[in-house]
Formats: sequence, C-alpha cells, structure tokens
Amino acid sequence: MSVQIPAASPGEMAVPSAAAADSIALHGVDIAYEREGQEPLLVVENCSLSVGREEFVAIVGPSGCGKSTVLRAISGLLRPTRGKVLIHGNEVVGHPAGVGFMFQRDTLLPWCSVEENIAIGLELSGNPQKDPQATIRDLVQLLGLNGFEKSYPSALSGGMRQRVSLGRLLAYHPDVMLMDEPFGALDSLTKAVLGRELLRIWEAERRSIVFVTHDIEEAVYLADRVVVFSPRPGRIVAQHRIDIPRPREARAIRSDPRFTHICEQIWDDLKLPTH
Amino acid sequence: MALENTDIAARKGRVPMVAQRIILISVLLTIWELGSSLTEGEFWVSRPLLIVERLITMIQSGELLRHLTATLVEAGSGLLLAGLVGIPLGIALERFPRVAKLVEPIIMGLYGLPRVALAPLFILWVGIGLASKVLMSFSMVIFVFLMNVSEGVRSIDKDMLDLMSTMRASRSFVTRRVVLPAIVPWILTAIRIGVGLALIGAVVAELIGSNQGLGWFIEKSAGRLDTTGVFTGLIVLMAVAMLANFMIVSAERRLLRWRGNSR
Repeated sequence: MSVQIPAASPGEMAVPSAAAADSIALHGVDIAYEREGQEPLLVVENCSLSVGREEFVAIVGPSGCGKSTVLRAISGLLRPTRGKVLIHGNEVVGHPAGVGFMFQRDTLLPWCSVEENIAIGLELSGNPQKDPQATIRDLVQLLGLNGFEKSYPSALSGGMRQRVSLGRLLAYHPDVMLMDEPFGALDSLTKAVLGRELLRIWEAERRSIVFVTHDIEEAVYLADRVVVFSPRPGRIVAQHRIDIPRPREARAIRSDPRFTHICEQIWDDLKLPTH
Repeated sequence: MALENTDIAARKGRVPMVAQRIILISVLLTIWELGSSLTEGEFWVSRPLLIVERLITMIQSGELLRHLTATLVEAGSGLLLAGLVGIPLGIALERFPRVAKLVEPIIMGLYGLPRVALAPLFILWVGIGLASKVLMSFSMVIFVFLMNVSEGVRSIDKDMLDLMSTMRASRSFVTRRVVLPAIVPWILTAIRIGVGLALIGAVVAELIGSNQGLGWFIEKSAGRLDTTGVFTGLIVLMAVAMLANFMIVSAERRLLRWRGNSR
C-alpha cells in the first residue's frame, strides 16, 4: 500500500499536493556549515519537501545525515546556503510564528516547576487566555502529569520531562510542530507510550508535524509519510506514503503486513549505496 | 550540607556533625589555653581566656562595635559595588564576544596585578577615608563576579536558548527568565569567595592608612606588642567570615531548591 516516489530527479521531487494547502515547503535547499580553516561542510543537499497543513511527516536517516539540520532551517535557527524555505507560502525570515520545536534532550527551565514550564509556552504563544490556569490544568491532565504540577524537572524521570516539554509545546499552540528525535533518549517502553499519546493528541487536533527519528518502526507507526535521507550530505532518497488507517494501534500495527513491508522497504532504502 | 550530614548521622546513631565540630574546637582551644600557660608563651600567642576577657571589655566600651562596623561597611560596600558592576558587565561580555575578546588581555592583566600594591594609589586618589577601603575591596572582588558570571552565562544550555528563539521570546524575556536564574548559583559562589576577598581588601587598606576598623585595630595592637589585641581582632574577623559563609549557604539552600538532591 505504499507509494514509492521515484528519486530520479531530486531537484523537482515533491509529493504532488496543492501548494496552497502546504504549511511547509523546501525548494532545492542546500545547507553547509562554515568551518574554520576548512571547506564548508555540506550537510544537506538539494532538499525539496512539502508538508501539508494536517500532515504528519517523519524523516528517517542515518545519524549525521542532516535531518535535524533541516528542522533547524524550517524553524529559522539557521539559514540555508541555497534554496528557499517557505512557511504558509512565505519565505522564512527570522523565527517564523506558529512554529514550535521539541528537542531530544528536554530543554525545560530547571528552576521552573512543571506548571511554570508549561506556562512559558502559553506566555510566549501571545494568545491571551481567559483562564491560563485552566489551560495549564487541562494540559497537565492531558499529559498525565497530575500530582507533579509543583515538581521541578530534577525530580522527574526522562519520560516525564519529555511529557512536560510536549506540554510546553502544545501550550505554545503552534500550527507546525518540529520534533527532533523527541523520544530518542527514552527507553523503548516509555517511547512507545509517548508515541501513542502524541498520536492521540494529534488526531484530536491535527496540525503539521515533522518528526525526525532514526527508528524506522516509530516513523512508520506515527507518520502519514516517511521521508528517507541518505548519509551526509543528506539527500532525500525515497518517500513512502503510509496508508495504514487511523487510529492506529501500537501493538496490532506491528503484525500488519503493510507495516512490515514498508519497514523492510525503508531498510532497503537506507542500505542503498547513494554515491 | 551540615544539616544533611546531621540527619544522616542522627539516623545512624552517631554524634551529630555540629556537636563534633564544637568538640573539636573546644579541644583546640583547651590545647591553646594549657599550652600557652604552661610554656609561658602568652606573650607570643596569647590565651583564649585573655581573648574572651578582652572581647567582653571591648564590647562593653563599644570599641568592638565601632571597629567591626567600620570594617563591615567597607567590605560590604566593596562587595555590593563589585556585584552591581560585575554582574551586568559579565553578562555583557558574553553577549558581545568580540568586545570580550578585545578587552580580555586588559582584564587578565588587571586581574594578575597584586591589587594590594594599588592601595597607596587609591589613598592618593580618594584619601584615607571610607572610599579608599571600598575601592580596595571592590578591586579585589570585581574579577570574581566578572569571571563567574561570564562562565555562568557561557554554560547556559544552547538548546534551551534555541528553543526560546523558536518561540520568539524577546531578549528581555530570555534575560529575565533564562539568563538571570541560570547564573544565580554562579553569583552565590562569587559572593562566597568574594566575602573573604572583600575583607582582605578592607583590612589591607586599613593597615595602610586609617583610624578605625579591625585591620587598624590589629595593626595598632601589634605596634604595642599587645598579642591579645591582635588575636582578638583576628578572631572577630574569622567569626565574621564564618557567619557570612553560613548565611550564604542557607541562602543557597533556599534559592537553589530546584536543583533537588541530585547535585
């Protein structure tokens, strides 16, 4: 059931979709890092990608392939060396509004309690809230953080901290969520639980998500589309549409033949010598 | 730290740390007292009981309060001023790395200079009054603030700052909510180190030219071969430093509760 999009001419490679409905579009993006006394290091090469308004896209690729770099370019944390990045059709200047980021390591403020950390997202969202306390309470409830509202991050486990990070991200209320291996540092059980909760939240209120991971199964389970990157310099070598219907069941999906088939294909894509 | 140790000790049924410390100090004082009176070394090292006696007369005459206040005002003002200048300057140096690189040799040069040697110059500039002592204390402590704060700002998690920029936090928001709280532990450490240095600055300046203060009192007592006076001054200085340290440790415990027990 997966649609393999040919990677023959990567320059024009974009999944057919109505341009107006895209929230993110990358056109022929190169990203190189300046190095002192050396040639610039090309990490992303000729990357063209578009993400729909309610689409969940996962990027997989070997470590160091520039997949996180792509996220940084979308969020305006760095400028592409060549090519264009558009958000809602506008070229990214500075840090675009409505774009939320989540890192692998929790970037919570250690001197703020769980509530206060979530409140920061709310505060920076710029949407005046009638009752901010109620919004925070709802998020605490949604993420299963009840009883930990007053705790400091130092007292929480890694999984709990990422729940708080997700809470802060949701409080910021972005239309585009960029997630850089958000569950990558967690044990597989916690990772599975958090993945399921992310899906539950996203299915209730759809928005664009670009989710970077090196876990193929996680990508296929979560995403509408999986984009496969080559080793550095990262190029898109394949894209797979995941047509497994939602809501997806974390346990059942793993024995679904479509699931295993796509995973195998992505394994093959990754193994391909790309130079 | 002391409190936690005490808790553990109490649970293990050992003598609490505070008691152990008191016992140790008592033993040392007894050795001092006996040693001094048995060897007739009173002239050289005085005796604890003589010092206590002197302390009482000085408290009664108000002399102690006068000298103590003078030194505390000098060292305290120097410390406060160094913090007021050093903290913003330390943050600024990290914000403008090119300027920081430009002035770094000058700062390190000034830091390397034995600032005690500046005392005569300070007196020449601002006279032998309060100002020269404050200036001396300030010159001792400013670098501690500058370097600690810079290092603190540098150690802030880059991802955390990046995350703040993706949420389009303003510079003042980041300063208030991220930078300042992040450097609180560094400032507390700077104060802890600075207290001792500020006292050194004040006392040294007093030795060179003054008519009051603990440093001046010690100097005057030594000139009269009054060893008990010298030791009385030293003991009071030591008590001040210990008390200040205790106060900072309790402030740390309150302000850094977010660190939890995992430090």
